[in-house]
Amino acid sequence: MPLDYPLVEHTLANGLRVVISPDHSVPTVTVNLWANVGSRHEVAGRTGFAHLFEHLMFQGSRNVASGEHFSLLMAAGGRLNATTWFDRTNYFETVPTGALDLALWLEADRHGHLLDAVNQANLDNQRDVVKEEKRQRYDNVPYGNALRDLYATVFPDDHPYHHPTIGSMADLDAATVDDVHDFFRAHYGPDNTVLTLVGDIEPEDGIARIERYFADLPAIAHSPRPNLPQLDPLSEPARHTVISEVPNDRLYLGFRLPTERDPRYLAAALAMEALAGLSMSRMVRRLVRGDQSATSVQGHTMGFVDGVSLGLLAVDVAEGVDPNAVEEVLMEELHRFADEGPSEVELEAALAGAERGWLSDLAAQDQRADAFSHQALLHHDPDYVNRFLDELAAITPEEVTTAAKEWLDPHSRAVVAYLTGQDEVA
Amino acid sequence: MSTPTAATKNPAPSPRPDVTPPGRWEFPEPTTSRLDNGLAVAAYDIPGQYVLSVRVVVPLSPRDEPREHEGVASLMSRLLDEGTRTHTTDEFTELLERKGIDFGAGLSESGLTVHGEVSKRNLTDALELIREALAEPSFPEKEVTRLIRTRLAEIEQERASAPHRAMREFAATWFDSAERASRPAAGTPETVRGLTRHEVVAFHQAHVAPNAATVVIAGDLDGLDAHALAADVFGAWSPAPVAQPQLPTPSRPGDDRLRIVLVDRPGSVQSEIVVGCAGPDRHVAPAWAAYPVLSFLIGGSPNARVDAVLREDKGFTYGMRSSFRPRRAGGLFLTTGSVRTEVTAQALGLLLGILDDARDGFSAQETTDSVDFIRNTAPARFATADEVADEAAGLSLDGLPPTFTTANLDAMGELTPEALRAAYDRFVDGQWCVVIVGDASAYADSIRALGRGEVSVVPN
Repeated sequence: MPLDYPLVEHTLANGLRVVISPDHSVPTVTVNLWANVGSRHEVAGRTGFAHLFEHLMFQGSRNVASGEHFSLLMAAGGRLNATTWFDRTNYFETVPTGALDLALWLEADRHGHLLDAVNQANLDNQRDVVKEEKRQRYDNVPYGNALRDLYATVFPDDHPYHHPTIGSMADLDAATVDDVHDFFRAHYGPDNTVLTLVGDIEPEDGIARIERYFADLPAIAHSPRPNLPQLDPLSEPARHTVISEVPNDRLYLGFRLPTERDPRYLAAALAMEALAGLSMSRMVRRLVRGDQSATSVQGHTMGFVDGVSLGLLAVDVAEGVDPNAVEEVLMEELHRFADEGPSEVELEAALAGAERGWLSDLAAQDQRADAFSHQALLHHDPDYVNRFLDELAAITPEEVTTAAKEWLDPHSRAVVAYLTGQDEVA
Repeated sequence: MSTPTAATKNPAPSPRPDVTPPGRWEFPEPTTSRLDNGLAVAAYDIPGQYVLSVRVVVPLSPRDEPREHEGVASLMSRLLDEGTRTHTTDEFTELLERKGIDFGAGLSESGLTVHGEVSKRNLTDALELIREALAEPSFPEKEVTRLIRTRLAEIEQERASAPHRAMREFAATWFDSAERASRPAAGTPETVRGLTRHEVVAFHQAHVAPNAATVVIAGDLDGLDAHALAADVFGAWSPAPVAQPQLPTPSRPGDDRLRIVLVDRPGSVQSEIVVGCAGPDRHVAPAWAAYPVLSFLIGGSPNARVDAVLREDKGFTYGMRSSFRPRRAGGLFLTTGSVRTEVTAQALGLLLGILDDARDGFSAQETTDSVDFIRNTAPARFATADEVADEAAGLSLDGLPPTFTTANLDAMGELTPEALRAAYDRFVDGQWCVVIVGDASAYADSIRALGRGEVSVVPN
């Protein structure tokens, strides 16, 4: 049975798409904007720019001083942030109902009139901050760059997902104020954005307020390129080995998958749960609790829109165990699963976990708003949030088996191996 | 000032809207009961929350562990879902996952918390399995051995992680070495290697029983009698004479804690900094209310005092955080975060200056803005079943009533700049324990030159 979160859609004359879902259980409203720009839109030599740009959105705009976006909303009892990912950039705050107008006004000011406030000093400052973020989250962390290496191994060189959202130090250094202006004009406009309100607001009232603050923003006459065609699985195994002072050997296996709204993606995601996502999954049972040749096995999928998604296995190899032997077992289990398909119990558990996880995600207004924005921006279908569990439950065991055969074939794996030793890259 | 760009045609922007302050808000009130076996039950009805959240808390302390068996309490908690007298490890795992139950167990300095999240229709199954895990765990030999190996691997992973390594060194430097708190809660390689099933079983028997425990059930309880359900399920858990947890007294700080320790990692691109001194626990008189406000004001946002300088002005860090961290008794005031290697000494000097200068007091605007942030974010921070259950469990372990959260928010509304200053001065005296994990050779001399305490270098 579909969920029944209420949902009203509206489009402003300037193209801004609005989603409103009233929920009066708490006297707060979440304002959530998804701009249709992410690291997949970056050009060579400017990796990391979409994220650096996101930081500049907090440094002031026409009528807002640097830092005021944070300080005004926080003093009003708002919690806020923004994130950048391959496919999009999101900006969000949850505020007491009485601060909704302030939040909309602030968002309209920066989404419409950021460039008035951008200057070399705040670009330089936030470039430094982002470089520290890169060091803190990636460069100074064991295995911190493993996903970067995996993207580069599993996706083709010229593909939008080949490089990570954080970018490279050299490209961050190269960014200029002119780049900021060009990027804003190319990507930030009401016709390239979705605005969702979830919370203590009725649709009519919400739409009127959004009209008040956003109607004057000019469209950018955006003509986005169509998403890239579906990539096939890797035609042969690919491999990248890093010898590094990591605490233990760790293997990452990546697989190209169908894009996130392709039913084959859901089938592959269920296969991944049965293989390595669940505690009762085959790989956990065999490698972690069985012969104990691994201390942990994890499996999950990342859904994308631009021609491919990613299936991911990560295995911590136990001390004294040969990582190649562990990889062999992973291959065996992938083959066995493709032959046998999922058991009834595996599917039951994968669906039960997905249901609890999805309902848990939607339990808070802010995450519910983010889910609506996601489906509205990237798929023009916010109601998918209500239907997702039914679509997942409709996947047959045969579809799971077929997805595993076609997309989780060991021959199509990309392996990134982080092995203990003195630093070196092979 | 700027001029409108060609793309805009609205030279007279709408004025900044005023904010209507929200009304008073209260943390939900539980209904409570106590079972014959002594188990306390608290139920929080939160309409619309269809994933229910369960916590069972059992007060105990790593201080109760024998010195040579440190880590046994944590190991015991990790083994609870690895098999019971009724079900093997694989069976138990399968039972949880077929019902979509997210099960977890963890140990803090004040007790054991078992947590479960589950769709409303599977609540009974979740409670049954949680009871089974707590009341009749079998601690299979094989899983004991495995989780000891896992802990040993985890110790290496924590050593490789700068924030973990820094906190471990801070605890060892701050607390007297005779105190349990000076050593990792989950044990060291020396103590963990020596553990066997025998110690795990004994610790469980001595400390885990319903008489001292509390179960919290939060979520949409419409059509459910949570108390009757809890009585049905947990009534079968037999009471036992458990050892009283040691009296909550603050862990003693060491005599030579006020110094700077550099944990050396040659080639590190960043330095992880921890600066700390003593802080209160939540029972502090006259009230705890000032301390969350101070945490936010000093180091809780990009515009807070610390990041206004170190991040937004200097660009030295992605962000540093200051917070008063209450323990069951006593507490710490910690500022943590990382900066790039080249600016380590300069960043430390600035940071200590900001923390010291705060002793001169806070403005009325800072006070109001910080109080309003914490009070007015409360409805959203406690909107989900999980967040309510978590708060309720934490209060229970700290020996605080469920009314504490609301009373604390109300007390914040009365805070003045003078009260904040008094609360800060009570613990912050300008003397600090500092740990930095990074490439010591790059900054040891310039840190000595700051003159903020004796500097020593230790290996990673």
